[in-house]
Amino acid sequence: MTDEDRIAHLQGEPAHDLDEADVAALDDLRDLLRDPAVWAAPPGDLEDRVVAAIAAEANARPSAAPPAHRRTRRRAWVAAAVAAAAVVLVAVLAAGVLSGGGAGGRTRLQVALAAVGPAGPSGSGTLTRTDAGWRIELTLSDLPRLDNGAYYQAWLKNDAGLLVPVGTFNQGGRVTLWAGVSPVDFPTVTVTVEAADGNQASSGQRVLAGTVKPPS
Amino acid sequence: MDAETVDGFRAGDPAAVRAVVRAYGGLVFAVAVRVLGDRSLAEDAAQQAFVQAWKAASHFDPSRELGPWLATIARRAAIDLQRREATRARLARAEEPTVVVQSVPESAERAYDVWAVREAVDGLPAEEREVVRLQHLEGLTQVEVAERLGIPLGTVKSRAHRAHARLAGRLGHLRDTGG
Repeated sequence: MTDEDRIAHLQGEPAHDLDEADVAALDDLRDLLRDPAVWAAPPGDLEDRVVAAIAAEANARPSAAPPAHRRTRRRAWVAAAVAAAAVVLVAVLAAGVLSGGGAGGRTRLQVALAAVGPAGPSGSGTLTRTDAGWRIELTLSDLPRLDNGAYYQAWLKNDAGLLVPVGTFNQGGRVTLWAGVSPVDFPTVTVTVEAADGNQASSGQRVLAGTVKPPS
Repeated sequence: MDAETVDGFRAGDPAAVRAVVRAYGGLVFAVAVRVLGDRSLAEDAAQQAFVQAWKAASHFDPSRELGPWLATIARRAAIDLQRREATRARLARAEEPTVVVQSVPESAERAYDVWAVREAVDGLPAEEREVVRLQHLEGLTQVEVAERLGIPLGTVKSRAHRAHARLAGRLGHLRDTGG
């Protein structure tokens, strides 16, 4: 019995010097190679789902978090804060309505935010163009409070991926933000969880996201 | 998997969690599919497995390999889910809860073998892996593989030979135990 014999049998080709046990074992391996489970690709959003689920668990039962030193405990807590928020949301920015009417002929976009997961934040809001800029008024529910150097940050993003920060806040409820760029040109709205660590870039820990339809 | 990532996973650090899922998601999912035979349920089981691993991470010995530990958790998570689904189905049928024999499903016994084969297959170069997939999963002959991939038959033969040699070498422990 040689390796060539084994390789041949594994490929379904004739092999001469294999004993019964070898044949049985190699047939077993061939069965496994035919098993769809071996080739099954995991869902593309598995990472997001696991991160969200762990954050939710940590938020729901912070004492259940594994013991760790202080810094990692804080990081876990920050992740926990992503918790209820992090259950993946699809922000449905509803039909942007250009209300040419109203005082001063201001442009107003209506915004609706909805959770797609079993739990998580949701809300609605309005983006209004004023002389000073765009006022973004959101009413958000189930967005847990962040403190001790952790906070939420809202962004507007254009199609090229350029992010413009539009404000920070600590929890849901009524939140007023201001943008110096138009949501018509920067139509994607995101909210991330950030830490006051001197890094001004987005953490990438998005808890809300959606796209504004351009006004017609 | 480096110690820092494992430590971050224990702490629930999202970046570390993502790294672990990226490295082991395919393996965990393979075990779940094998046990449950249902992709949708397997997705839930894989997610549960990683959450349970995070919960138990403080008991994990970082000097050991993470993979086999996750395999055990994945198998258990899938079996638990299967039993819950069975109970739910029974209740939905309003059957009397008679004596329930909690046995390990046959497919679960093979979960470790699936894990090992998946790991070995994932370790193949992509072009060799595709040849093996077409040969075994889709049942194509080498001539058909050559036609499908638009490459010479000789190339298919050489890739197949190299791939099966690697698999035979990496999966020798399955042969030793009779699979």
